[in-house]
Amino acid sequence: MCLIKFVIQFSPKELNIFGSILPTRCHIFHVIIVSDDNSAHVHFKNTFAANFTKHKEGTSVRFLKITTALNPRFKNLKCLPKSDRDEVWSMLSGVLKEQHLIAEITEPEPPKKKINLLVVASDSDDENEYASVSCALDCYRAEPVIGMDACFLEWWLKHEGTNESLAHLTHKYLVTPVTTVMFSFFFFFSPPPPPPLPPSRNFFTKRTKELKPGLHSAPGWKLFGKVPPRENFQKDSKIIQQEYEARTGRTCKPAPQATRRKTFEFEPLSTTALILEDRPSNLPAKSIEEALRHRQEYDEMVAEAKKREIKEAHKRKRIMKERFKQEENIASAMVIWINEILPNWEGMRTTRRVRELWWQGLPPSVRGKVWSLAIGNELNITHELYEIFLSRAKERWKSFSETNSENDIEDAGVSVADREASLELIKLDISRTFPSFYIFQKGGPYHDLLHSVLGAYTCYRPDVGYVQGMSFIAAVLILNLEEADAFIAFANLLNKPCQLAFFRVDHSMMLKYFAAFEVFFEENLPKLFLHFKSYSLTPDIYLIDWIFTLYSKSLPLDLACRVWDVFCRDGEEFLFRTGLGILRLYEDILLQMDFIHIAQFLTKLPEDITSEKLFSCIAAIQMQNSNKKWAQVTAPVRPLVPSRGKLVLTLPWSPSPRHR
Amino acid sequence: MAYAYLFKYIIIGDTGVGKSCLLLQFTDKRFQPVHDLTIGVEFGARMITIDGKQIKLQIWDTAGQESFRSITRSYYRGAAGALLVYDITRRDTFNHLTTWLEDARQHSNSNMVIMLIGNKSDLESRREVKKEEGEAFAREHGLIFMETSAKTASNVEEAFINTAKEIYEKIQEGVFDINNEANGIKIGPQHAASNATLTGNQGGQQAGGGCC
Repeated sequence: MCLIKFVIQFSPKELNIFGSILPTRCHIFHVIIVSDDNSAHVHFKNTFAANFTKHKEGTSVRFLKITTALNPRFKNLKCLPKSDRDEVWSMLSGVLKEQHLIAEITEPEPPKKKINLLVVASDSDDENEYASVSCALDCYRAEPVIGMDACFLEWWLKHEGTNESLAHLTHKYLVTPVTTVMFSFFFFFSPPPPPPLPPSRNFFTKRTKELKPGLHSAPGWKLFGKVPPRENFQKDSKIIQQEYEARTGRTCKPAPQATRRKTFEFEPLSTTALILEDRPSNLPAKSIEEALRHRQEYDEMVAEAKKREIKEAHKRKRIMKERFKQEENIASAMVIWINEILPNWEGMRTTRRVRELWWQGLPPSVRGKVWSLAIGNELNITHELYEIFLSRAKERWKSFSETNSENDIEDAGVSVADREASLELIKLDISRTFPSFYIFQKGGPYHDLLHSVLGAYTCYRPDVGYVQGMSFIAAVLILNLEEADAFIAFANLLNKPCQLAFFRVDHSMMLKYFAAFEVFFEENLPKLFLHFKSYSLTPDIYLIDWIFTLYSKSLPLDLACRVWDVFCRDGEEFLFRTGLGILRLYEDILLQMDFIHIAQFLTKLPEDITSEKLFSCIAAIQMQNSNKKWAQVTAPVRPLVPSRGKLVLTLPWSPSPRHR
Repeated sequence: MAYAYLFKYIIIGDTGVGKSCLLLQFTDKRFQPVHDLTIGVEFGARMITIDGKQIKLQIWDTAGQESFRSITRSYYRGAAGALLVYDITRRDTFNHLTTWLEDARQHSNSNMVIMLIGNKSDLESRREVKKEEGEAFAREHGLIFMETSAKTASNVEEAFINTAKEIYEKIQEGVFDINNEANGIKIGPQHAASNATLTGNQGGQQAGGGCC
């Protein structure tokens, strides 16, 4: 009831904005009973109706109409007489075409070669453009209306891929003016926000293309009068599309631009447009000074919004440009790796040129191959050997399920050296490995594969067994290599001194690594080092997670892969150098935090961390103590390591001032 | 935020019993059916009020796998409370309680309050451990006991808060020496720390993503 009072008292008096009517009305449905017996509703209806009629003729109607049509909640345009609806759509079509023209003028097409790289199907043929406009519009109209509880911004985010041109327009119409708008407080009363989308980390982002039909069983919507049930709300959007295609006799394919990748983010601010209106007739008119002042304020707001829009456009353009450049670099690097380096691996791997190229990040297409070569196979594992251990694991799993896990396996008299018992634990962890990617979930494409690799390893190395954290390493390898090759790389990688020390949870050895890390920490970041010391914040708190999973759990996957690239080049030292790089990157923030905040921050790093920033911080970390290098500092660790991996040491780390 | 006391908690128990989910439910009031597994240790913090006093809980959520025990042991030090969690749908997690308890008793200060938690009480149909068994175990070893569900949030608040009440009572009784930080209790700083904004940022990052 409070809200209604707000709407009625504030809206017409302060700012008289058409655009607020629909969303407000939408909220009203949540708080009052829509019935002519309800005096609150009648009062609301009359006030708004009067207001609405008075301003119907104003110029802003055009804006309102487009805004309404673009809002998937109201796009059936039930608020307008049937005869007027087509006009709105043709108006929108005009706006869309206009947008295309502007886009062509302001955004020159990238050179042909880049287009190929991005697989952009972009015909600049005018007719095609126009056809695509009407197609985009038809597609949008064919989608079902969403419920009043649904968030239209969320809807547009989901449909951005399939209908880019309209989505872009939405940007302008539905989210334009921002917090300066008085009535934005209405929307704090909104229904709870929808659950956040799964974090997109460049890989395997699941994109829901269609809204589940029938999920929001909201009634149809009509501005004033009775509320008819929404006619098509049970219909699947596919069915609607099929019906539409049958009716019009043409296939509605997504607009050609739909494949173009683009960042498209809404600011979840106000939901409507800002339009300057006079006061309603039932209130005293504004004085001239007041009107002038309002006009001026309005102009300022609009100018501000425009400025912001231009800035955004520039930013988008810059990002696009950078991405083109990146893609081009990757493409040319790929050629060098395939044609020059890989055929002469042994001779070239340590050359300065290769090392520098390596630092830039391996092209995804050769990544698995280079990792395999760099990790090596000193354990001489063959594909056949993998099969043997895999079948052993399968046997053990079978017998587990037969004896039922009721009796405790771990206590069933197995010797400590035989950690094959940890086989049972693997299945608990598979779905907890990169849960946001879905692919490792039960029924996901990589679930069984990950299970197999880890199971085979546990049988191959019963002295180590399965230890939590391994699933992340195996998962990253599986994403880049064939199954058996992933296993070979996995087993050899875990055989390196540092990994062996950690996965055997050899506490004393781990402490030595932490101590070595602290030597370089103090050397590189003395202020932060003291800050941590003052809270007795020891490196194990964050390093355990980082080192066990080789950063694949804590960093976005694409970034983690880049860390792995250089880890394959430089060995264990680089893992600790990366850790220092992260601390350096966030040094200023960390210096402001106390124990618990640092601990929380470092065990859950921000997701927006970028590779350029991180790698420039890593590059700035010197792994050469005033008198010692990493290998010397960690020397006490080495002789103790039982099976000493050759590779870490054969990858010579040459301290050059230009370590990039 | 200013607080009267800070209590350090540690959450222990077998892997997959729902330790991180309990923490998330307590600090963020949400449940994540598929959760990243915990490697090493993760952290949570929340302010509660007991007897009109603001108490900050600093919670250490540990990895459950047997292999990590040697690491976990070093985190008992300075904990005032421990939540020892098992899964009522997995008998083996209950069977392991004795070894967990031995570990906890051996590596913590003798006054540490231990709360035994039978988690996943929402999965009644898959129950393998009777509530009475949990109660009996707790009685025998002098622990507080509760069955919780991180999924439905049932008893989650209570589990964390009752543990704090017990610690608070011990302080009142003079059992705990609050000046010795090894007991896991810190007296709040006189000045209000300026960390509120940082907490806000962290929280906003996780809770963000919604609109309208």
